[in-house]
Amino acid sequence: MAAPQDQYGQGYPAPDPYAQQSPSQPGFGTSSPPPPGGQPEEVGGKKKKRGYAAQAYDFGAGANSALGGQQQGGGQFQQPGGPPAPAYAGGYAAPQENAYGGAQYGAPAAVPAVGAPGVPYGAEQPQYGGGVGYQPPAAGYPGPGAPAQTYGMDPAAGGVAGITQGMGQMGVGGQPPAQAQQAAGRPAVLNQLYPTDLLNQPFNVAELDLPPPPIILPPNSSVTPSPDANCPPKYVRSTLNAVPTTHSLLKKSKLPFALVIQPYTSLHDVDDPVPIVQDQVISRCRRCRSYINPYVTFLDHGHRWRCNMCNLTNDVPQAFDWDAAAQKSVDRWQRPELNHAVVEFVAPQEYMVRPPQPLVYLFLFDVSYASVSCGLLATSARTILDSLNRIPNADRRTRVGFMAVDSSLHYFAVPKDTDENGETNMLVVSDLDEPFLPIPQELLVPLSESRLSVEKFLTSLPAMFQANQNGGSCMGSALRAGHKLISPLGGKIVVITATLPNVGYGKLEMREDKKLLGTSKESGLLQTGNSFYKSFAVECSKNQVSIDMFLFSSQYQDVASLSNLPRYTGGQTYFYPGWNAGRSEDAIKFATEFSDYLSAEIGLEAVLRVRATTGLRMSTFYGNFFNRSSDLCAFPAFPRDQSYVVEVAIDESLTKNFVCMQTAVLHTTSNGERRIRVMTLSLPTTTNLADVYASADQCAITTFFSHKAVERALSGGLEPAREALQSKLIELLQTFKKELAGGNMGSGGLQFPANLRGLPVLFLGLIKNVGLRKSAQIPSDLRSAALCQLSTLPMPLMMQYIYPRLYSLHDMPDNAGIPDPETSQIVLPPPHNLSSERLVPYGLYLIDDGQTQFLWVGRDAVPQLLADVFDVADRTKLKVGKSSLPELDNDFNERVRAVIAKSRDYRSRGVGSIIVPHLYIIREDGDPSLKLWAQTLLVEDRADQGMSFQQFMGTLREKVVQ
Amino acid sequence: MMSGEAWLYLLAVLINAVNLFLQVFFTIMYSDLEWYVSFNFYGLKKDLENPTFVPVRRRFLDYINPIDLCNRLNTYIIPEAAVHGVLTFLFLINGYWIALLLNLPLLAFNVKKIVDNAHLLDATEIFRKLNVHKKESFIKLGFHLVMFFFYLYSMIVALIRDESH
Ligand SMILES: [Zn+2]
Repeated sequence: MAAPQDQYGQGYPAPDPYAQQSPSQPGFGTSSPPPPGGQPEEVGGKKKKRGYAAQAYDFGAGANSALGGQQQGGGQFQQPGGPPAPAYAGGYAAPQENAYGGAQYGAPAAVPAVGAPGVPYGAEQPQYGGGVGYQPPAAGYPGPGAPAQTYGMDPAAGGVAGITQGMGQMGVGGQPPAQAQQAAGRPAVLNQLYPTDLLNQPFNVAELDLPPPPIILPPNSSVTPSPDANCPPKYVRSTLNAVPTTHSLLKKSKLPFALVIQPYTSLHDVDDPVPIVQDQVISRCRRCRSYINPYVTFLDHGHRWRCNMCNLTNDVPQAFDWDAAAQKSVDRWQRPELNHAVVEFVAPQEYMVRPPQPLVYLFLFDVSYASVSCGLLATSARTILDSLNRIPNADRRTRVGFMAVDSSLHYFAVPKDTDENGETNMLVVSDLDEPFLPIPQELLVPLSESRLSVEKFLTSLPAMFQANQNGGSCMGSALRAGHKLISPLGGKIVVITATLPNVGYGKLEMREDKKLLGTSKESGLLQTGNSFYKSFAVECSKNQVSIDMFLFSSQYQDVASLSNLPRYTGGQTYFYPGWNAGRSEDAIKFATEFSDYLSAEIGLEAVLRVRATTGLRMSTFYGNFFNRSSDLCAFPAFPRDQSYVVEVAIDESLTKNFVCMQTAVLHTTSNGERRIRVMTLSLPTTTNLADVYASADQCAITTFFSHKAVERALSGGLEPAREALQSKLIELLQTFKKELAGGNMGSGGLQFPANLRGLPVLFLGLIKNVGLRKSAQIPSDLRSAALCQLSTLPMPLMMQYIYPRLYSLHDMPDNAGIPDPETSQIVLPPPHNLSSERLVPYGLYLIDDGQTQFLWVGRDAVPQLLADVFDVADRTKLKVGKSSLPELDNDFNERVRAVIAKSRDYRSRGVGSIIVPHLYIIREDGDPSLKLWAQTLLVEDRADQGMSFQQFMGTLREKVVQ
Repeated sequence: MMSGEAWLYLLAVLINAVNLFLQVFFTIMYSDLEWYVSFNFYGLKKDLENPTFVPVRRRFLDYINPIDLCNRLNTYIIPEAAVHGVLTFLFLINGYWIALLLNLPLLAFNVKKIVDNAHLLDATEIFRKLNVHKKESFIKLGFHLVMFFFYLYSMIVALIRDESH
């Protein structure tokens, strides 16, 4: 309970304590040194306030106003242009010391009597008193043997003081924490529940940027006082940051319990380094195979450790305290795996079936007429040529191979550079049924040894097929041949094609019929057209072959079928509808993305598994991989720009007061090292429904349901998927009303906790996303590609894809668009809700869903604005559509460009992604189809066959209040 | 001498026994896949991430993986449905309406699955659908068991009738 960040929501009703927060606190998950001295006498006085809270809440009129007499939850957001993290955000984000005021959010009657008197927990658990008062390790960490006692000394004094001090400061005190814990046997007071009225306090988009409700662990739960002992939310986020102890409580809550896992947050290790355990001492539980982590306990003078998952006692390996390289003993408490929840172990021999495989890229170029004429072949060859230095090749083992595909297969045997009269030979095979493999070793050459030949080949490749009139594509057969070629090694097959595979194996047909769109038959088009694409994908997974699809057709290409190959092999589908190299924007976009793609440090031969405390079971996995067994996900190549969702089932009731879930990704790095990335997330448990709701993470919940909706859309159809989303939301609102709001709705409002206020708008955004939207206008290829995004995007991008960003540029605050003096990051203007009411006719706006950016120019935009930004004299001269901004020498132009660039800067958001969104310039009175397209991103508007946010909320209210 | 009716029911008993065994086989395979899973919890399964393991029944465990399991079971699915179809057809042409009526639901179920091309197991989804498959297998098992006794009873009745004539 007295964990560093149990401050959730506390500052939200009362800005007063918020103001007192130490500004030095860097962020979530860190703790500040305990303030000196305690004021226990204040505690009693705070009880009254607590009573207030309960009372006020009972009247349903708004606990928030009564509590502090301040802002309502969403109220502060209404000031346009205000700071994006107002009151509500403050309490959320500020990791104050302790101060969970015991108040129990006044959830009526249902609240058990926590805080009954008890022994101060310091007595019961001597380890390290405060938990909150974490000192730097130097303070009292003598080394192995007797960590427990020494640990405690200092913090015990400071820590308890810190607690009371914190409470005093906060002005919402409660029972002394020790007593509370004693009574409940688990952190009695988790995040507080702050019910808000969804109808009277409008949702503000800035709330989506708030960190998830903090994880409040019992004190002393980790074996070291490291601030990194728990997994940061950028790697693993749980839908529930307080886990119900029983299956029936979880069922009663109607909330899902799932983890959203994003093992990598950047394309390159250098942008996101993780502590590495180099010495190959990997201590694991004998029974459940969990890796040693900060939540184990040491027994027996540190000779043994107890597994925090299954409670088995294990021996500590001899080498654990010994540095073999330096021949001296090491301080155990400095070991990364006991201080960091996210670490990477260098794996010894036993973790390999064969020596680590080299990185292998086999490029399948489409050289049919469609591909050559749109400039795809030339652009892709050129990009590979320019990116050869970026392909990871630190161990100089990386191999590349090339095949060209029209209605026959073309192999290229690339000679070694040392081979004096070596010429690249082309071998053409027209027998597609059993394509034989000519001299395999020359078809897959080490890049370092054949660098010049590869360069020569790539330079000449476009010319070879310049006049190709062949309109066929035997891509299925080519994939089989390519698979045969690289399956001894494994690796990546990179397919770059602009044609529907229409010859040979895996032949597909033009099955899209415009009349089917928008009907229940439409879902058939989203399913696989030829079972080859599933069975072949499984075959590839078995042989460690991963496939990435770059699809470019201007006509129907059956993305639905082709996307199966990446789906089951850990790859990705990249779709560029109507792409043409003749447009420089198109060429630049693909070249930039493809180059970044080639530079990414992917993992090879990877498996992912999640282990958890006894009683929890990983039941379902979502994402691009193949389930080799029910708990093991196999990735021939592990990408860096995807996330995964794992649903967790509670099989037995949980007796511990916190549970752990450990994700392990075993992989070979792109420089040939076998490693295991381990991420340990620890969450408190609760018997209280209110705690579950107060600690629910709306973004993680939406990500979970996005995956569910995609699954539903592919198996049952789009309409059932949309309906399931809406009924889930109604179910949640009803549950909250019935179980936690006491059925009292005051003036007919719609109550929901502050931390879940975004759920309705996110679900509406999901229902209106191009992948799921009710419409008869969306080509099935576009839908399929969107469904691929909805089931792979990392969470920050997923949120933006579901609820795009709208920035007002013409009136952006003075500090927006220029670097922040402290962080030197460009400051973005405050985001606006996605409603056309927010757009003034003289305005300039940026709408960005992470895949496409729209620059919206109002109908009455003043000439000066147009001149400054676009360098045109009047509106009619403005070029609409795919475009880029001219670089002009004026302050405003620079700032607008900075905002646009910052809005696509994924690295700063903790995401690896290759995507470079297109920029479309939209004139309000210009091309109506473009305008309509941009308007589909205005999720809160009524459009096509979709409800407006008001209508949606009205429907929900009808269903819930009835 | 046995009458045609008795012969037919004898054939039905035999065919039914085959189907019964197939369903038992299916059920065992599904539970094994699941058992393999729970077994793994104790770290007894070999894969790369679990390099050390206790080699209990290893040979058996190694042999179950979703791809092979699906391929193996898929070979039996059409024959099973076909055999059942033939039996139902025999009841139809011989005019045993009660037996026909009892078999029609399963026939319709099998036909629908084959028409929808949903009869084969899909290795990519086997773990998500394991419960559905298991349930289906159990229901079929129960059905065949009941039918087994029904055929046996009908055969005996027919034999007794033959005797008494
Ligand atoms: Zn264990």
